[in-house]
Amino acid sequence: MGSVASFRLSQFNESAPSDRELIARTLGGDGGAFALLVERFQRKIFRVAFAIVRDDMEADTIAQDTFIQAYTHLARFEGRSEFETWLTRIAINRSRDSLRRRRFVSLWRTGESDEREMILEPVDDRPDPEREFMARQLRVAIERAERTLSAQQKLIFRLRHYENRSLEDIAELLGLRAGTVRAHLFRAVHKIRKELAEWVTGSRT
Amino acid sequence: MGHRESNMTKHYSEADLLETYYMQPGQSMPVMMHLAECAECKAKYERLERKLREAAVCDTEKPATFWTRQRLSIMRRVDGQREHGERFTRNLRVAAAALLAFFLGGAVVYKSLQPALKTPPVAISDHALPAPPKTNDELQVPRDPWQSDELQDFHAVVQWESWMNDTKKKAGS
Repeated sequence: MGSVASFRLSQFNESAPSDRELIARTLGGDGGAFALLVERFQRKIFRVAFAIVRDDMEADTIAQDTFIQAYTHLARFEGRSEFETWLTRIAINRSRDSLRRRRFVSLWRTGESDEREMILEPVDDRPDPEREFMARQLRVAIERAERTLSAQQKLIFRLRHYENRSLEDIAELLGLRAGTVRAHLFRAVHKIRKELAEWVTGSRT
Repeated sequence: MGHRESNMTKHYSEADLLETYYMQPGQSMPVMMHLAECAECKAKYERLERKLREAAVCDTEKPATFWTRQRLSIMRRVDGQREHGERFTRNLRVAAAALLAFFLGGAVVYKSLQPALKTPPVAISDHALPAPPKTNDELQVPRDPWQSDELQDFHAVVQWESWMNDTKKKAGS
């Protein structure tokens, strides 16, 4: 707990050390430096995990595990890519494992789907409640349509849909060729377009 | 893709535009060229894009306490892992030292016992033979056992038998 105790938020304001500098300090035994790296990337990593698993608690666990794994294998980080890309890859791999595990567990639970049942929340009093309601319904329709996708298709589709990542970016993160990603996404979109068609037509807006 | 010829009378459906949206619109040149010319399809695409963007919004905005708790949790686990690693390294070193001491001790003991275990064969010579005992009893023992006092009474018989043997030998020859 020494490093936690020594961790001070005021450190952020002093200077902005580079990722490589913080990595070197962490490898030298400075726990506070790693805390700075966590602070720098925890939101992005949580968002990526959440985009894939669509569950707060699971995304939190994945984000934590991602940083622990990164810390454990920090010496192996060769710096060929950005530290953020490396972290994101770890988070994506863990999220994919989570999706596969969830799918596997669902096989043993008859009558239950691999995804949590989506519940339409009541419309809140935002400036445009009707628009918000439609967005939620579309969100539910998308999640329902996603159930027909394989883990890989779901992963690629979610990175494209929620994270708005380019195909090249997804290919780099997953270690696949852009053509492979395109093929997976194409099949995924074809599967869900029927489900979504009624929601994206003008009559449902 | 299912898109029609690029003219103003045929338009793209929402499903086509949905595919265009996900498969990177910038790379679908025919579609983009049509959208540049057709206001109706362009409006449709923009509406679709807005709806999908709204649906894709992830509510990952959390209070500061959430991030602090997560960070502390991570650092606690990191510290635990570091301590575990240090403990493991320490135990490993102790085990390695114990193993080394065991082998070194074994080697020393083996070396010290090696001469005794590998005794060269002793060459027997007259000089090496122990001297014959020189006790009084041994000295009193006569060279010829027949000459002892105990057998003195049988001397005649022995001589007779010796004579018999001699006679037989002479007769045989």
